[in-house]
Amino acid sequence: MITSIAHATIYVLNQDEALDFYKNKLGFEVGDDMKMEGGFRWLTVYPKSKSQLQLVLAEPKEGPMFTKDSAEKIRSLIEEGAFGAGVFETENCQKTYEELVAKGVEFIQPPTEQLYGIEAMGIDNSGNWFSLVQR
Amino acid sequence: MTENSRFKRLSSGRDYIADNYLESFSLTDAANNSFMSPFHFSRIFKENYGETPNEFLIRLRIEKAKQMLITENYSVSEICERVGYMSLGSFSSLFLKHVGMPPTSYRRTLWKLSSEPFRYPLQAIPACYAYHFLRKPVN
Repeated sequence: MITSIAHATIYVLNQDEALDFYKNKLGFEVGDDMKMEGGFRWLTVYPKSKSQLQLVLAEPKEGPMFTKDSAEKIRSLIEEGAFGAGVFETENCQKTYEELVAKGVEFIQPPTEQLYGIEAMGIDNSGNWFSLVQR
Repeated sequence: MTENSRFKRLSSGRDYIADNYLESFSLTDAANNSFMSPFHFSRIFKENYGETPNEFLIRLRIEKAKQMLITENYSVSEICERVGYMSLGSFSSLFLKHVGMPPTSYRRTLWKLSSEPFRYPLQAIPACYAYHFLRKPVN
């Protein structure tokens, strides 16, 4: 039986800038920031909660998995807003929305009543969409 | 007091720990930062974050020590002091309890696996990621 999800990946354009966004704007904590052999940087963040899920902030770069062309295509898709980072939960969507707006986080939808709760939609500094949901 | 206001105060105490965990400080200071009694702070902290303030402090220090053991050349005693512990014995016991091996063994094991000095070996991250980004079979 699978009991939980430990890691999920968000592709970002620049790890330093993404770290600044997720840590200093969204208020996440750094899980790992490890320089691996081969030059790869293993960077994870997670929300301050009981959650065990860590988000891996990874740059699409030319390498074993991506050709130069593939990496460029993915970077382009990120910039176009083709990818979603996921759903972040909050106890008070309106309040958190206001706090994040004050910090300069861009939103494309203010808190809105939905069937599943109150939801706002924002964009990280790479172009990934995320939902901010109060259930 | 609203739930949000209480959470903000609690969060402020948690941030205090995160900002000062490398120093020698009292958790009472963190509780004071949240305008709560140490007992109340500890109870609410556990309810919200799933760990006590002390467990959070230890986790931060051990994670930092693990990083320093791999990426720095400091002795274990120096690392012990740099992550805020005065007693090498206490630090080593905590490290063993949380990591499953003593600090020296942790360093020796990971350094031996890595092909580059002061870098983590691929075995330190989930294999699916190691394969995805570096495509190197891991043992």
